[in-house]
Amino acid sequence: MGRYVTLLRMQLRASALLAAQYRWDFLIDGALSLFWAATAVIPLFVVYTEGRASIPGWSFDEAMMVVGWFILVQGVLEGAINPGLAAVVDHIRKGTLDFVLLKPADAQFLVSTSRFQLWRVASLLTALTIFGVVFNRLGRAPALLDIGLSVLLMWVAVLTLYSMWILIISAAFYVVKIDNLNYLFTSIFDAGRWPISVFKGGLRLLFTFVVPLALMTTFPAEALLGRMGSSTLAISVSAALVFATASRWVWRKSLRHYTSASS
Amino acid sequence: MSAVGRTLRALPTMMKIGVSEAIAYRAEMLVWVLSTTMPFINMALWSAVSAYTPVTTAQGRTYGSADFVTYFLCAFIVRQIVSSWASWEINWEVRSGALSMRLLRPMHPIVVYGSGNLAALPMRLLVTFPVVVLLFITGAFAKLPNTASLWALWLLSMFGGWLVTFFINIAIGSLSLFMDSSIKVMDVWLAGFFVFSGYSFPLAIAPSWLSTVAHYMPYRYQFGLPLEMMTGAHDLASALPLLATQWGWVTATGVLAVALWTFGVRRFQAFGG
Amino acid sequence: MISVKGLKKHYQVKQRPPGLAAALTALFSPQTKTVKAVDGIDFDIEPGARVGFLGPNGAGKTTTLKVLSGLLYQSDGSVTVDGHVPQRRDAAFLKKIMLVMGQKQQLLWDLPPSETFELNRAIYEVPRPAFDQRLAELTELLELGDLVNKPTRTLSLGERMKCELVAALVHGPRVLFMDEPTIGLDVSMQVVMRDFIRRYNEKYGATLILTSHYMDDVAALCPRVIVIDKGQLSYDGSLEALAKKVRPEKRVTFRWSSAVDPEVLSRFGRVVSSQAGEAVFQLPQASVKDAVGKVLATLPVADLTVENPPLEEVMSELFSRSRAAQKPVEAAS
Repeated sequence: MGRYVTLLRMQLRASALLAAQYRWDFLIDGALSLFWAATAVIPLFVVYTEGRASIPGWSFDEAMMVVGWFILVQGVLEGAINPGLAAVVDHIRKGTLDFVLLKPADAQFLVSTSRFQLWRVASLLTALTIFGVVFNRLGRAPALLDIGLSVLLMWVAVLTLYSMWILIISAAFYVVKIDNLNYLFTSIFDAGRWPISVFKGGLRLLFTFVVPLALMTTFPAEALLGRMGSSTLAISVSAALVFATASRWVWRKSLRHYTSASS
Repeated sequence: MSAVGRTLRALPTMMKIGVSEAIAYRAEMLVWVLSTTMPFINMALWSAVSAYTPVTTAQGRTYGSADFVTYFLCAFIVRQIVSSWASWEINWEVRSGALSMRLLRPMHPIVVYGSGNLAALPMRLLVTFPVVVLLFITGAFAKLPNTASLWALWLLSMFGGWLVTFFINIAIGSLSLFMDSSIKVMDVWLAGFFVFSGYSFPLAIAPSWLSTVAHYMPYRYQFGLPLEMMTGAHDLASALPLLATQWGWVTATGVLAVALWTFGVRRFQAFGG
Repeated sequence: MISVKGLKKHYQVKQRPPGLAAALTALFSPQTKTVKAVDGIDFDIEPGARVGFLGPNGAGKTTTLKVLSGLLYQSDGSVTVDGHVPQRRDAAFLKKIMLVMGQKQQLLWDLPPSETFELNRAIYEVPRPAFDQRLAELTELLELGDLVNKPTRTLSLGERMKCELVAALVHGPRVLFMDEPTIGLDVSMQVVMRDFIRRYNEKYGATLILTSHYMDDVAALCPRVIVIDKGQLSYDGSLEALAKKVRPEKRVTFRWSSAVDPEVLSRFGRVVSSQAGEAVFQLPQASVKDAVGKVLATLPVADLTVENPPLEEVMSELFSRSRAAQKPVEAAS
């Protein structure tokens, strides 16, 4: 275990060195992530324009909270999860995955931690700013317990997102030429900017259980607003665990397929 | 001119190979189609919003749930057809050095990229087929234009929209000849696209400041205008000036694309990439 | 150390024929066929041995290396490497081996090689003192100097390959698989790499299996060669004996002291080339003595040399023979 902590530190160090090498990129990317955050908010303005009380159960400020969580989790996705995804697809295409498989450490860990985009920290700051603005407009401060709950749910969200990502990566072992997987992932994830109550029927089920976006943005926002039920919490935690276990299993299966079928 | 003749003679073969390629890359295409399902999400969103509270345009027209269904089904179809990925192609080829091979061929690369992108259309149309069926089933078809001249103009606007999209792709792709990679520029462009083109919401229901900004940007003429014409938002009188503006954008982006490409290639040849 | 029995690796490939109609057909009924990359080979390798794998492209050399290193599972047969079953890929096994691929690299592109070394140290859990010592030795042997602190992307191909080797060796593998380690390098760099590989083998007693297109690599490094062709083992023994078996002839070069009529030369045996003042014969082993005697007696010989035919020619003859015997079927890649 301690060994993996050391490894994670080393990989982070390599990413930091890289980021330092391309200082201009760092600045540009930081500015870009602010721009993206701004464009993420605009559709919300359109929905609530001219004082429409548009989404059942969600005021403008509350819906803004969901957007904040969306920006935060998107930052984690693009800063810590997608770069690794790109690395695996790259490895598979160039055939250098062999080097990873030859290492006496867990391959999933090695590829997952191989690249980070550290400038994405800007998204986290943006999200925190949004939370601050929302609570300021609501005229109250979040309860300490609610903050704790939402932090817990953030980890649940990250674990779920990561597991989904592993599931998608595993597909790359079967269909090699998938370069645009991260576009797919990002575009599906995009629906997470809206409170789940917007969606009805099939889509609601899809985004709660299959691609559990609700778990990643709506539930943490509800927690921070102090209106999440204990059953939602239990469902979230157990769903994350199910996803994590399933993805680990599929990953091992796919690796096995890769080593027995490829040339 | 013999270069034009040679290009025209080669085009059928190029298209045929392009179609075969599109079939071979069907897995990628499936991924791409899945990543352009955002109109369905927006359809769900706006149907829900309009069921809860009336959505009206600045002109006082009310958008009901059925209107949003029509709008976003058509948005999916337009998005499938008005699309180009030449910018990613150019970036990749500059990086891998494959561009040199392209420059050796006795045919203008922009024509080659263009025919490659157009050749994917048959497969794309195949994808839109179920959505066309949906248009019939939901009865949305009745809301579409009912005169041949409007449909002819729609075709013109589709072609114009595709040209703007394609030229922008070439222009941004050419930037990779000046800098390491222009993928990020494309990302910025797309962020604007999602907000100002009418892809995420009809521009008619946007706050007035937003629709004003959108009016002066190319996004609407790239995507929004063909979509508006398809959903019957314009009659002949209102469509013609918009079409004129669109073809103005076609000319402007075309000139920009050719200029950036030409200078970029000159630089590429001088510095060896 | 290494034992391979009845190793087979077959796999299915999809065929994608050219043409629009064919592409459409393949869309609905994809055609597959079985490629026999390796089709039943056996060998044993002693600890510390240096063995070369030879064979034409697609013969199954790389596949065999990948099975040995646990990257591919065999379809049939048994493989053990120092008592481990490679396909289990347990940590103890992985720490003992390394695969070096000349065409692929593990160095982090935008960072100095020293960062990759450091990362590998952490992954392989090499104790700091051992790591520092080994790194110092390797850096000196390869005369790397400050190169390890420059970003990988700024290094030349040869420098990069040296650093690849270091990255592969920081954990002190006992078994080293090398797939075309000198590919693309210039001749002097090939010599440096060869020297280094031999010294590493001698110093640490590591077992080495190497594939290469450059016969000089194999001749300089590998007392024993294994020829794999069409997935089967067609020769196992010394390189010298192989050359004799394929081309049991000697090459004799005469330099003349005065002009010689080229017409008369063919009387003494097969003439490979003839220029003013020089002629080259290719003669069967048994008749060399006889023929040389006759030439010396009748022609104005200033100088003569007797050599084996060049190895590259031996190999190309070996492989072209096998290709001629082979009906035109697919080559695995």
